[in-house]
Amino acid sequence: MVQNPSDPVPVTVLTGYLGAGKTTLLNRILTENHGKKYAVVINEFGELGVDNDLVVDADEEVFEMNNGCICCTVRGDLIRILSGLMKRRDRFDGIIVETTGLADPAPVAQTFFVDEDVKRATKLDSIVTVVDAKHLAARLDDSKEAEEQIAFADLLILNKMDLVSEEEAQAVERRIRAINPYAEIRRATKSDVPVNEVLGRDSFSLERILDREPEFLSGEDEHEHDSEINSVSFEVSRPIDPEKFNSWMSDLLAAKGQDLLRTKGILAYPGDDRRFAFQAVHMIADGDFIGPWKEDDERRSKIVFIGRDLNRPVLRRGFEACQVPA
Amino acid sequence: MSTTAPAPDFLINGRGTSADLGAWVVSLAFGRDGRGLFAGLGDGTVRIAQPGAEWRVVEAHDGAVLSLCADAKEGALSGGDDGRLIRVPFEGTAEEVARYGSKWIEHVAAHETGLRACAVGKAVHVLDAKGAALKSLAHPSTVGGVAFDGKGKRVAASHYNGASLWFVGAKEDKPRVLEWKGSHHAITLSPDGTHVVTAMQEASLHGWRLADGQHMRMSGYPAKTHSLSFTARGKWLATSGAEAVVLWPFFGGGPMGKAPTELAGGDGVICTRVACHPQHEMVAAGFEDGLVLLTDIGSGRVLPIAPPGGGGISALVWNANGTLLAFGTEEGRCGIVDLSKR
Repeated sequence: MVQNPSDPVPVTVLTGYLGAGKTTLLNRILTENHGKKYAVVINEFGELGVDNDLVVDADEEVFEMNNGCICCTVRGDLIRILSGLMKRRDRFDGIIVETTGLADPAPVAQTFFVDEDVKRATKLDSIVTVVDAKHLAARLDDSKEAEEQIAFADLLILNKMDLVSEEEAQAVERRIRAINPYAEIRRATKSDVPVNEVLGRDSFSLERILDREPEFLSGEDEHEHDSEINSVSFEVSRPIDPEKFNSWMSDLLAAKGQDLLRTKGILAYPGDDRRFAFQAVHMIADGDFIGPWKEDDERRSKIVFIGRDLNRPVLRRGFEACQVPA
Repeated sequence: MSTTAPAPDFLINGRGTSADLGAWVVSLAFGRDGRGLFAGLGDGTVRIAQPGAEWRVVEAHDGAVLSLCADAKEGALSGGDDGRLIRVPFEGTAEEVARYGSKWIEHVAAHETGLRACAVGKAVHVLDAKGAALKSLAHPSTVGGVAFDGKGKRVAASHYNGASLWFVGAKEDKPRVLEWKGSHHAITLSPDGTHVVTAMQEASLHGWRLADGQHMRMSGYPAKTHSLSFTARGKWLATSGAEAVVLWPFFGGGPMGKAPTELAGGDGVICTRVACHPQHEMVAAGFEDGLVLLTDIGSGRVLPIAPPGGGGISALVWNANGTLLAFGTEEGRCGIVDLSKR
């Protein structure tokens, strides 16, 4: 089933350190019979043993936006490739963008917020990070990118499970949770995750992530490792004043955006039956109304920060102050 | 509804033809010898319109046509995502001019002297009339646009942090680098070759006066500019990217310190393509909703060409003597309007 040409094309970003199993997963997506066609943007041509006219070679050109904000970077090659692919959008159901193992995922994610043409034609479906269960701990110790790839993930594929014991697997999961408690973790061997669990998840749109209350947040595991990146989340019961929130958030992102990798929130505005979804990648923010609150839902606003040096009390007080007066 | 304004009389109805080509119209060009309108499509074909006949289909690329221009003498030159540079003659089948592996050919240009240029990744390849490679010009990042100057002596390429200007006939290839921070895509030279202008990722334009390297910053666009067109004598630069046709004055010391002229605005719809008439000070404009119109720069008067519908305008072109205007849309609609005296 090829999609309606006027619908935005879903894009899945596939990250993961070298040797984690990204290529194996891509090969499976391209060869398995799942009834869908994907255009794939890769970095090294020939690495995939698949002959497919929808495989595109990218150069991973990261461009700074000329707006004085140093963390405001986009993937220039991706803007061009996506607009090229749109010229034959009737040929595929979705697009997969693979990043190199050493890549910071932020420029890729930001491209979907910053570029108007990309925003109009596509939507970021999810960021999937493949990690090697056996070697993740070592990677995290020596690479900033490995940690960021976990922080950005909506879905983490904990691969090479055949090489670790259950205890080792649990230890790795705790380490992942300390960085990003909101991503779903799927265990796999040779990247054997059902394709429909990887693609078409619509998880970057937040609803799913925030609807799943991370039960593990209460544990002490958070402090087990001194991860540079961690996360905090807050919930408030009174509606959020949009003006106060916008002013707080723009000040916060301007001051701390470099350390805030991802910010996501579902907000209840006074007198509005719709939920407002907010998200940011570093300093670049975006928001839109999503479906209505359910009848019996408590209209509680939530916000999540994933980043470095998060000052929990300051962030909490800031968010609480955005509520309308009691 | 009781009373409505009378529907404007669109010229496509009395003086035009239109067709549904079934795929994204990437680019349009009239043959330099006056024969045929060539449409490069997202399905990899080039369609050729000829008076009084059905559209002819030429299989050109395995994938999509990414760029197309009028070739040096006749026919069209197209670049595809199959890495091939193709010549499509008015009669006959597609001929491969060059092949560049798995890379996309995103920009092509040709000059009546016989020169051709195409951008493949960071390189601009220059070829002669027979298709032999003359030179391969390297740039610091992927090329965002390519243009020859009016005489075919120089070729300009835009890229990250500026543009490079090369003499095609130079023994030693050393570009004049025009620097400006940021990512530059569409590029054009003024007809007299004195100015280079690029469109930027940040929804603004940047220009260089070549005589003294003076910078020109032209900003205020709500959307990215994809289309740049100088009027025949280079007095005005027409641009897309705003809810009107934005024209920058290249006379009387401008555009530095001058405000642009805005024409045909007011509908709140983004202009996506502009094409200046090859002789007169008139500019054709296509909009995101499919509207096409012609406006006289002096008087600001607007002549409606084609009504909204059928997809955003993705290509717009005049024939050499300015009697035919053709447009194409993202949804595959293509129209030709005859504006010659009757």
